[in-house]
Amino acid sequence: MIVAAWWLLSLRYGAYVLPSPVAVVSGLRDIVTSGEIWKHTAASLARIAVGFGGAVVVALLLGLVAFLSRLARGVVHDVLAVLNSTSVFVWIVISIIWFGLSNWAPIFTTFMITLPVVASNIVEGVASVDRRLLEMGDVYHLSGRRKFTAIVVPSTLPYLVAGMKVGFGLALKVSVVAEIFGVTSGIGYVMNYSREILATQMVFVWALVMIAVMTVTDKLVFDTVSRRLTRWRA
Amino acid sequence: MKLEVAAVGKDYLIPVIDSVSFAAEAGDFVCLLGPNGCGKTTLLRIVGGIEPATRGRVTLDGHAVIADQRHVRKVGVVFQEDRLLPWMTLRDNVGLVLTPLGLAAAERAATADRYLKLAGLGGFEDYYPGRVSGGMRQRAAIARALAIEPDLLLMDEPFGALDAQNRRIMQTEVRRIWRQTGRTIVFVTHSIEEAVAIGTTLVMLSARPSRVRELIKNDGHVERAKLVDDLNTMIMEEVERQQGAGPGA
Ligand SMILES: Nc1ncnc2c1ncn2[C@@H]1O[C@H](COP(=O)(O)OP(=O)(O)O)[C@@H](O)[C@H]1O
Ligand SMILES: [Mg+2]
Repeated sequence: MIVAAWWLLSLRYGAYVLPSPVAVVSGLRDIVTSGEIWKHTAASLARIAVGFGGAVVVALLLGLVAFLSRLARGVVHDVLAVLNSTSVFVWIVISIIWFGLSNWAPIFTTFMITLPVVASNIVEGVASVDRRLLEMGDVYHLSGRRKFTAIVVPSTLPYLVAGMKVGFGLALKVSVVAEIFGVTSGIGYVMNYSREILATQMVFVWALVMIAVMTVTDKLVFDTVSRRLTRWRA
Repeated sequence: MKLEVAAVGKDYLIPVIDSVSFAAEAGDFVCLLGPNGCGKTTLLRIVGGIEPATRGRVTLDGHAVIADQRHVRKVGVVFQEDRLLPWMTLRDNVGLVLTPLGLAAAERAATADRYLKLAGLGGFEDYYPGRVSGGMRQRAAIARALAIEPDLLLMDEPFGALDAQNRRIMQTEVRRIWRQTGRTIVFVTHSIEEAVAIGTTLVMLSARPSRVRELIKNDGHVERAKLVDDLNTMIMEEVERQQGAGPGA
């Protein structure tokens, strides 16, 4: 149904505005056989791995700080609120000023955009740890480290996974936008390049690739992990 | 193990416990009774060293119990809620509290299994708390408290969330475990029938700010039915007195 409607509309508006499904499928076949699909997807994922990975690491450290000090929790909370309300474009411009037209621009942008999402989830998780369970730990003289690993970490993990799930989706969207500037690989770059050479069907092809990457990681990675983590739920 | 509660009092914004004294010898089963809100939980938390007293002192074999300090005697606590970690199996929940005792992992598991069995949970060692009934969770919490081989076992209305039938079953179980292990137990309840059924010493607290209204040895010299009647009369008076005083008075 959707494909049929798409096809009819593409006939009406022409290949530049809306390429036909046939053109998109053959474009997809081309990049698979040429191996271009892997090259650009890998380039984008590598940048995401560094930017988003860095954000997760820093977010974990912030979560630890928030756990150790109530004062720090307030400060972290405020900083994250500010970061959260900053637009993607601000970071793209700033990162180009700071890092020039290089790999680091999309990496930094991804980092700055995903950090508040992941970190505020973790901080929320840390704040929601059941006080009564910690008191139980005190009654039985559990060490601080034991309380952390047995009580705080497991209560926070679902929040971390939820934050990472949202954060990863965001990382993919943001890094693709940032790749329009100054780099010569990645899904964002190749989409913009396709537009410039008037190959609209390839813009659609890469959009499909992006959707596929997002769906696969969501279903395969995050859903599996969260199911594993909540195995104990009734 | 001898427990002495000497003129213990506690003020929050309002005075909650005026002054309470009682003692328990090794192997005693003390039931703390009193109207809701008279400070039973607070008193238990003071005895367990979870909360500091405003006045008076608590000693275990002559050693003072000071809040937030590790005491010489081992104290097991069963809270009103089970307070099990939902992400750990029953075995791991019990084993966890054995880690500060320096037992090896295999020993912890073996000890946990032994006490789970004692609490009637043999075969459920690998279950997560969410997969068993409320009564079984409360049994697991009791197993956890017993596993550290406490000198003193504190229980705060542990059967409050159970239905009447399970409650009776658990009362019999706790009584059996108490006979089998010889632990000194302080057990908070607002059910007089429960206290008379399982306690050897009954401490009836008055309305807030509470004092000891009556201390009764439940050794069979007084007929059970009459004891229940007398205590019921007392608690009705105290409930009325507390309501008369009004909240916050
Ligand atoms: N942490 C606290 N801060 C202030 N008031 C408290 C606190 N804990 C208990 N109280 C008050 O002390 C009184 C006795 O509470 P509690 O010991 O829980 O009574 P019981 O267990 O006998 O029902 C209640 O009025 C309660 O509101
Ligand atoms: Mg209470």
